[in-house]
Amino acid sequence: MAMFNRILVANRGEIAVRVIRACQQLGIDTVAAVSEPDRDSLPARLATKSVCIGPARATESYLKAEALVAAALGTGCQAVHPGYGFLSERASFSRLCKESGLVFIGPSPEAIDSMGNKIAAVRIAQEVGVPRVPGSGRLETANDARRVAAEIGYPVLLKAAAGGGGRGMRIVRSESEIASAMESAAAEAGAAFGDTALYVEKFIERARHIEIQILGDSHGNIVHLGERDCSTQRRHQKLIEEAPSPVIDEELRNRLGTAAIKLARRVNYQGAGTVEFVFDSDSRNFYFLEMNTRIQVEHPVTEMVTGRDLVVEQIRIAAGEPLSFKQSDITLIGHSIECRINAEDATRNFMPRPGVLTTWQPASGDGVRIDSHCYPGYKVPPYYDSLLGKLIVHGANRLDATRRMIEALSHFKVEGAPTTIPFHLQVLGHDDFKAARVTTRWVEETLLGTL
Amino acid sequence: MEISQQDLHQILKIVDETENLAEVQITLGDLRLHVRRFAQPDERREAMTQSVAEVPMTRRPPRGGESAAAATPPAPPTKLEVPPGMHGIRAPMLGTFYRAPSPGEKPFVEVGQRVKADDTIAVIEVMKLFNSISAGVDGVVDRIVANDATLVEYGEVLVLVKAD
Repeated sequence: MAMFNRILVANRGEIAVRVIRACQQLGIDTVAAVSEPDRDSLPARLATKSVCIGPARATESYLKAEALVAAALGTGCQAVHPGYGFLSERASFSRLCKESGLVFIGPSPEAIDSMGNKIAAVRIAQEVGVPRVPGSGRLETANDARRVAAEIGYPVLLKAAAGGGGRGMRIVRSESEIASAMESAAAEAGAAFGDTALYVEKFIERARHIEIQILGDSHGNIVHLGERDCSTQRRHQKLIEEAPSPVIDEELRNRLGTAAIKLARRVNYQGAGTVEFVFDSDSRNFYFLEMNTRIQVEHPVTEMVTGRDLVVEQIRIAAGEPLSFKQSDITLIGHSIECRINAEDATRNFMPRPGVLTTWQPASGDGVRIDSHCYPGYKVPPYYDSLLGKLIVHGANRLDATRRMIEALSHFKVEGAPTTIPFHLQVLGHDDFKAARVTTRWVEETLLGTL
Repeated sequence: MEISQQDLHQILKIVDETENLAEVQITLGDLRLHVRRFAQPDERREAMTQSVAEVPMTRRPPRGGESAAAATPPAPPTKLEVPPGMHGIRAPMLGTFYRAPSPGEKPFVEVGQRVKADDTIAVIEVMKLFNSISAGVDGVVDRIVANDATLVEYGEVLVLVKAD
């Protein structure tokens, strides 16, 4: 297959800008599919052309598969890049693209299907010998949940089968809480994913979130690009990510990488993907959590330490080209940290607050990267997520990277909307972050608890 | 006599290809077409845009040639201002705009035709699904803005109706 001439960018915000930049680097024209309030957005201006696909409401624009396919066909695109979120992990969209003669820049519908259902994914992980957190399959009744919980021991975590992002998730500390937790988790899962199925897992008290970036091509090559540590989360929403992880050594990295590749190979994975693990800080065991079949928000930290452009690789893979490097070519250099700059007020329960960015003066300097769609005067629309951009730094080691990040955050001036910048400065200045003692519940239990 | 967008492009093409022709005026009923051309390609394009603007049927100047049109992506649709007293029927969705129910059939409406609010004035196809577009107001069709069988964006003005 020849390289594409024109790609439809089926997303918005910073990731749309990121995809357009990658296309520019490859000499590919871009069509930005935008909703009405995004007509004048940065992606619309940077793309070769933009097409308005619908009104503000995502279900009538960025989630409307037929409109996106019609826009791609009507503007002469050969491929569609879904970014993250929206339609990026809908097997039906990947399938619709294929049936319409478009290349979906991502894995096959079959691979998305097998990894998209969390219960099915866990079963596949077990089949290839990748450990999972002790737990159940699909639960039918509260009695089933009680039986499994008694076996694996409390506390347990109830999770949505179709889940992600912490929705439909409940920590249950005793048998008496199970029935009501199941009820509310199922309701939340139904509202968020249209599927009320739940499963239960052992709850790990001192957990870190470790994920492995993989890339697979259509020639059977699959490599991993090391791990990202995304333990600084609030309510399962990642806030700070870094690579490499301060708690993973070379031996463990190889084991995690090998496990991720095994899993990916099993589903003939093509494109960029991320295999997420829970790492138990006490036992140093790791357990398969889920696989994300798309580019991740936090992909830049991997790019910074490996020197590889993951979005360019995604496009090249989709065009049928083999990976441009081998596993042995991957070496991790230095340390990278990413902070998500959200239009949220951390002092008010991280409430999202849209507004007009009267000042937008990003940090700059050696080893500093900004991925953003914002500019001075940009009106942050209230319809979509609150991510304004990502501040990424690269340093010689973790201490150096942390110092650079504190410096960059201090010089990042935003007015017109509250941001998570002050929050990030608190985290980076905290002894627990410096000593790598942060677990996935640290923000809620320790940091916010002491403020 | 009715003149279609295609006819108009044909006329402009003939003018464009005829050497030593500086100016053409055509009057057909209430339609007046006035085309001037100059030696400089840029000026010529501009002049044609202006003259075309006098014609109530088109919104885009013809392209320089087939090869140029094929090499560059189509220009974004003109952001059309709806003149006062007019009602702009906008695309409620992105898709392919069709003036007729199927190829070869008579268009739903023509310029000068009286329409009722519920009348279908066009269809928009999204992945083989045809959506009827109704006039929304009672009035007289003043101008068909969108090109037949082309992609229209969400919110794009398709047809202008002089409302009663």
